[in-house]
Amino acid sequence: MAFSTAVPAGERLPVTVLTGYLGAGKTTLLNRILTHEHGLKVAVIVNEFGEVGIDNQLVIDADEEIFEMNNGCICCTVRGDLIRIIGNLMKRRDRFDHLVIETTGLADPAPVIQTFFVDDDLRDELRLDAVVTLVDLRHVLQHWQADEVQEQLAFADVLLLNKADLVDEAERAAIEQRVRAINPMARLLTSTNADVPMQQILGVEAFELERALSLDPGFLVDDHDHEHDATVGSLALVEERPMDLDKLGSWLSELVAQRGPDLFRMKGIIQLAGEDCRYVFQSVHMLLDGDFDRPWKPGERRRTEFVIIGRDLDAAGLRAGFAACGA
Amino acid sequence: MAAEPVLVNEQLSGALQQPITALAWSPDGELVAIASGGGELLLLDFRAGCEELLRGDRDQSLDAIGFSSDGQFLMAVGQAGELLLWELGGSGVRPLALEPLALGAGWLDAAAWRPLGLLLAVAAGREVRLWDGASRQWCPQVLDLPGTVQALAWSADGALMAASCNGELALWQPLASPAPPPFRLATASAGLGLAFSPRAGLLAAGQMDRSLLLWPELGQGTPWQFSGFPAKVRLLAWSDQLGSLAPPLAVASGDTVVLWSQHDTGSRGWRPQPLLWHGARVNALAFAPGRPLLATASGDGTVALWDGNGALRQSLEGDGQGFNALAWRPDGQHLLAGGDQGRWWLWPVA
Ligand SMILES: [Zn+2]
Ligand SMILES: [Zn+2]
Repeated sequence: MAFSTAVPAGERLPVTVLTGYLGAGKTTLLNRILTHEHGLKVAVIVNEFGEVGIDNQLVIDADEEIFEMNNGCICCTVRGDLIRIIGNLMKRRDRFDHLVIETTGLADPAPVIQTFFVDDDLRDELRLDAVVTLVDLRHVLQHWQADEVQEQLAFADVLLLNKADLVDEAERAAIEQRVRAINPMARLLTSTNADVPMQQILGVEAFELERALSLDPGFLVDDHDHEHDATVGSLALVEERPMDLDKLGSWLSELVAQRGPDLFRMKGIIQLAGEDCRYVFQSVHMLLDGDFDRPWKPGERRRTEFVIIGRDLDAAGLRAGFAACGA
Repeated sequence: MAAEPVLVNEQLSGALQQPITALAWSPDGELVAIASGGGELLLLDFRAGCEELLRGDRDQSLDAIGFSSDGQFLMAVGQAGELLLWELGGSGVRPLALEPLALGAGWLDAAAWRPLGLLLAVAAGREVRLWDGASRQWCPQVLDLPGTVQALAWSADGALMAASCNGELALWQPLASPAPPPFRLATASAGLGLAFSPRAGLLAAGQMDRSLLLWPELGQGTPWQFSGFPAKVRLLAWSDQLGSLAPPLAVASGDTVVLWSQHDTGSRGWRPQPLLWHGARVNALAFAPGRPLLATASGDGTVALWDGNGALRQSLEGDGQGFNALAWRPDGQHLLAGGDQGRWWLWPVA
């Protein structure tokens, strides 16, 4: 299933998903977003009502409700409550410019993300801007093994390392390294009291294909699989030879059919044989999306870079399958 | 009624501040209620020739409104999570607002009066609750569902209530004595729209998985299942005209309307006729009472009128804004439409 829609991105309402384990500072950030003078009228959907300290008619409570979309496949899920509430809210879309969804500390972000690509109405009317995950620098290691923590790190486009005032630099750097091992693609920010420039978290356009990949520069150089200390990890694949799109498409389809629930996100910039344009690709569990992008620039290093974030990744098998897609 | 009477029988258009979300006619066709995404509620009284804004813009949507079958009450529910009720004394008498009833179940968007009597069913989270206009109390009976109620509908005789959530359709006889336990049917996805036929006792459910379920006998027996719609099936309307067997059924899915008619009672007896004309999502559809005439309203800024054979008879436009809602006057001669920028139009339909 592709996740593109015919409606241009500029006509769709941007949505930011705010995740983070309990106590990471989501409410503080939400209150900042609501009071910040960014000129945006922001509507907020919360799953833990009463925490937002601001009286605002556009703060709406929803009860998390997961709908399976595909005969019980555990990863093909959406949030039924969001479909209903946002459907109601979109009748008044001229009243706000941006939608923020705050998930509970124990939520898996995948159903929220998938809702915006699977639901007929929502995918035409809204555009997922970014998943912003707050990390409590002081306490995150205590909860490191929790599935929710790892999922929230893995799905993030922006990782906000918060409560920096409560740890020293060595502790912060150690956590950053472990976070990077799970998610090398996210924009990494450090904050105290969730005090970050709003333009770093709103208007990120992380799901626009042309921004498919922005890797930590050190990551590809590192070129080994990053499963240092967790079942959730990431793998970077680099190929200098041009690839074959048909082979790559078959390999990816087969891969998500077999391992979809364990493959959280993939992103890639592909160099195709006989093509002057880059091919860009991304996925969320079993949702795949790919398209031709701009031409390679003169002097740009033409090669394929592909990152997989997932659970129990079989690095050797993935490398072999990927390498076999050469043209 | 209002301080400044307006001759609404000559007024064919008006405007609220925010997008129109719901429209309703009183059973005698003398009153119209119009609700908006800002929580405005306007009451037009045709016999007295006046209008009254029962509620102003307060930035919290109203999403479902309706008159009780005897015209005694007007109800409204929406974003604030309260049931609002007005007692109506008839044409020319100022409506009396009852104390709002908070349900504590978040945004309310589905509620329906029983076709007979004074019972109002309200979808409140994972429950269907009943408010009794005779006693002005909540009834002790509550229907529980395993998920948030997405849609509800009464059978034409008012004996049966259907309610759907993700994975289940429940059929309930709240007034039977002794009341049997609700009959529960498993469904593959969420029922987004429910409608009993006004005759012949069929039940239709529009599903999120782009399918339509049709039960022959009030939800009993094996349903026909039709899949392959272009988008989720949200809107359903039965004609009150008899077809060759069952009455015709109109279904909206994305920008497509499909007119279904039954030609024999076999598994392939239902035939779909796509009515392809709208250029954006269809947001409302309704058959005219007593006539083989279907109206469909779309975000493309048009209302289309189709005859019983699915032929486009006429298209209507307002001022370019998309349409959100439609309601036929019970006489079938007047069509009210509400726009996504707050304007409403009333058209006499010859
Ligand atoms: Zn799946
Ligand atoms: Zn490493």
